[in-house]
Amino acid sequence: MFSPAKMWNGFKSYIYKNYGENPGSMLVHTGVIGWILSSLAQVYAVIFNDKISKEQKVFLIPQEIADAVVNIVSFYTLTSGVKYIGAKLVKTAKLRTAEISNFLKKGGHVLEKGQKRVEGKVYAGDWNFDITKLDNYNSEIASKFKPFKNGAEVIAGLTGSILSSNLVTPLVRNKYASAKQKQALDSMKNTNREQNEKTLYPGEISMNAYMKLASIKHSGNLKV
Amino acid sequence: MAAVKLNIAKNFYNRLPSMQVSKDKVIDKIVYIGKKWSSPHQRAILGVTAIVMQPYIDWKNKSVDDKTRKVAVARTCAKIIAGTLTGVALRAGFIKGIAAMSKTASEIPANTKPFIKNLKQCLTPKNLDPSNKDALEQYRNAMGTILSLVAMVFTNFLIDAPLTKFLTNNFIRMQKKGENK
Repeated sequence: MFSPAKMWNGFKSYIYKNYGENPGSMLVHTGVIGWILSSLAQVYAVIFNDKISKEQKVFLIPQEIADAVVNIVSFYTLTSGVKYIGAKLVKTAKLRTAEISNFLKKGGHVLEKGQKRVEGKVYAGDWNFDITKLDNYNSEIASKFKPFKNGAEVIAGLTGSILSSNLVTPLVRNKYASAKQKQALDSMKNTNREQNEKTLYPGEISMNAYMKLASIKHSGNLKV
Repeated sequence: MAAVKLNIAKNFYNRLPSMQVSKDKVIDKIVYIGKKWSSPHQRAILGVTAIVMQPYIDWKNKSVDDKTRKVAVARTCAKIIAGTLTGVALRAGFIKGIAAMSKTASEIPANTKPFIKNLKQCLTPKNLDPSNKDALEQYRNAMGTILSLVAMVFTNFLIDAPLTKFLTNNFIRMQKKGENK
């Protein structure tokens, strides 16, 4: 049966289980939700700011929407991508502390300089190496490895989010929004021209129609 | 074909030299960041780097006219300041609040009244491992951040948007004053 208390407890347990030991993922997921919410508010702020002219709104509204879409997509892909690379480097022990190195050397997992690679053996630093799968991982190195991995993931995630939010997003959104502004201004100019043409000869004939008629009437007399 | 590409990437990765962080100070800093830094820090760092990078990018955007470019710079600055201030404050506030309401049994004095005890534990997860202090701290960070995002549905409209508008208009006024000098 549906029970709010049960659901709430389930939600708390879910957060604890999924983010309790994974702060990097939490930052990516909540970051995405945060950007969605703040983008909505920013679009609203531009639409209802009467100090911004219509021409500038035509640029700023698409800029804001482009900002939101690009930000969310690039934030998720770039931040989680860079975070994944950070986590992979640490998990495969490509990036490690001296203490982790000693642990791995003791187990014969490190390919020393000049040593020949044994065919089929997976060494520390290889793509398929996973330090957490070693038999003595929990008993000997987990307490040192986990905090290092969390730190590396948070730093990688932060780097990804800076790159995506402060470099990729502004560059892409500006390109998109300026193209949109040009398009919108052109259509505005066309509307104005049509209106001007109509007001030149109210209720009778437009400038275009007049020019067409004039050319038909007089073109035969043109002497070239 | 995809499998061949993946193998090339794996081989390339395998041939990259391993890196060892040996300085204790650096390792301590990395561990500290993993344990202590959370969404308010992330938001603050994003804000600081944004104010350095984004207005410059907008200013160099030559594909729009001068007037629009100036408004875009003013708005970008305003948006970053308003978003960072409210974002950091809300996240930090909520994480603190959640921490106060997700105490473990050992963190509550024995003579605490039952109502207060329940209040202090109303957000404590049922599947808590009391020996894992770091996981509890990360849970508090995550729960605080998630609930602050729910609050942001309202504050974005009530604080962020009007503050952005107010700051944008002020920055535009400052630009005009500077031009008239």
